[in-house]
Amino acid sequence: MEKTSKLIAAPVAWRAVAYVLMIAFVVLTIFPLFWLGYSSLKPHAEIIQHPMALPRSPSFDNYVNAWTEGKLDLAMMNSFIYTTVATVSTLFLALAASFGVTKFPYKSRKFFIGAFSLGLMITMHAVIVPLFLVEVKLHLVNTRIGVIIPFIAFNLPMSILIGVSYVRGIPDAIIESAEIDGAKYRWIFWRIIFPLCTPVVATIVILAFLQHWNEFLFVFVFTTKAAMKSLPVAITQFAGRLNFEYGLQYASLVIGILPMIIFYIIFHAQLIKGFGEGSLKE
Amino acid sequence: MNYTASKKRSYLSFVLPAFVIYIGVIIFPVIFSCALSFVDWKGYGPMKFVGLGNYARMFADPVFFIGLRNNILIVLISVFGQIPLGMLLAYMLHRKMVRHADFFEVLIFLPITMSAVIVAQLWNRIFSPVGILPSFVRLVTGNQDFVMKIFENQTFAFVPIMFVLLWQHTSLYMVIFLANLQRIPNSVIEAARLEGASEGTIFLKIITPMLGGVIFINSILAISGSFKSFDLIYSMTGGGPAHYTEVIAMYMYNTTFVYQNYGYGSALSIIIIVFIVASILLTRLVTRPMGQD
Repeated sequence: MEKTSKLIAAPVAWRAVAYVLMIAFVVLTIFPLFWLGYSSLKPHAEIIQHPMALPRSPSFDNYVNAWTEGKLDLAMMNSFIYTTVATVSTLFLALAASFGVTKFPYKSRKFFIGAFSLGLMITMHAVIVPLFLVEVKLHLVNTRIGVIIPFIAFNLPMSILIGVSYVRGIPDAIIESAEIDGAKYRWIFWRIIFPLCTPVVATIVILAFLQHWNEFLFVFVFTTKAAMKSLPVAITQFAGRLNFEYGLQYASLVIGILPMIIFYIIFHAQLIKGFGEGSLKE
Repeated sequence: MNYTASKKRSYLSFVLPAFVIYIGVIIFPVIFSCALSFVDWKGYGPMKFVGLGNYARMFADPVFFIGLRNNILIVLISVFGQIPLGMLLAYMLHRKMVRHADFFEVLIFLPITMSAVIVAQLWNRIFSPVGILPSFVRLVTGNQDFVMKIFENQTFAFVPIMFVLLWQHTSLYMVIFLANLQRIPNSVIEAARLEGASEGTIFLKIITPMLGGVIFINSILAISGSFKSFDLIYSMTGGGPAHYTEVIAMYMYNTTFVYQNYGYGSALSIIIIVFIVASILLTRLVTRPMGQD
């Protein structure tokens, strides 16, 4: 094996280009974040006078001020509520639907699968106007539920397609034998299907969590009160337009980026696997 | 008989909750949007039926065409930038052309996890007069007055946005290609190498055709993704200056929620769907010879 891999090693020119490209991407990722990180520890005046220099006396004042002035505690809490509730709901709804359309012998299941895959093509911008009108009518504007339901709906098509391709592979015999023993379908779902789906549960949850956490438009359009804003919306408004204090801007951006970096450090393997496998649908 | 009825009921109880939410939030609004696109309405008061008036207006609207141009630019940077570059990076990682390939993969993929609006703010800070990039240029060139003027340039204001899109999304395609490359048996590449095929030949003549289906899926992702590119641009430039960096989704948003023109806004959102469906059909047509299924 060692010998073969030596034999087929790529030519030097290719390896050189590979290093240049990879290092370029890594530098473009690490360096801006590093610069943002240390600049956020500098006061406004120092940022303007010495944009590149390391902080002379690093201080977390910017963080304290951004946190309170930007009401980022509220935004952080809202982001957690929106993301967690929407992700858990998406998971159960998607797996239940996947079970239904793969393991029951009804013709309409083809229709349901087709309908859900159609959803992959529709962007949220195409529905935001009527959805807003409906939410106004139903008094769902400025409520958490008015944000969470669209979050779920737009994640369902992808989650169901991932779920379907996995549940389909579970042998029918397992379900049939449970049926013969007189088990209720609800029991079969919770006790047999769900535990067998553990790998795909991880994929669905991680992809949904990422999408929900970073979602912008729905929160932006459907909420007007600060008490309902999520982290991306609150930070965009705080860092983008209302604020000329660079230190506070930088600190708020770090607060926005940090949770996802921690999430990535923990889950990067599953995340890369999930995105990669999302495409393996044959 | 009773038994089958209860089985059917179970079936529906599994499928319907997801389906009802999906229909209510996605399909019904699309139909509603279609209906609204034929009226003139301010969001309150009476609606006036204008037939295809909103669509006719689009073709005489210069801002619509700027938006369309920018959307097409995004598709082009995806199809000719992100996808080939992602494929090349994936191939290089797969062939272990660099040491610590996992380390590079993980770091290159990192930007995907960041919210587009925050990424936009980050790069705005980098490009700003007190940002790291102009400061660095000032240090290297000695020109103390250097600032980036590209954002005020009518033709090139969109270039920084395309750069950030390339920076953030190339790795998505890289990861997808990598997952698919790992399913191609190593013996394919080994055999070709042994027979004296160059690395370039293997990449272009053997691997690329084998990934035809994936290239197709990625192109669909890129095209529908381009019409979703609201967040980044809204946060980075807001469409300005003077609509230079407008995209259709943002123009739709402004038309509806800022200028209260619900009919025209709805027509724009229907056009977005039409474009997505049309370009997916077109991509299918073009990539069929590449061995898709």
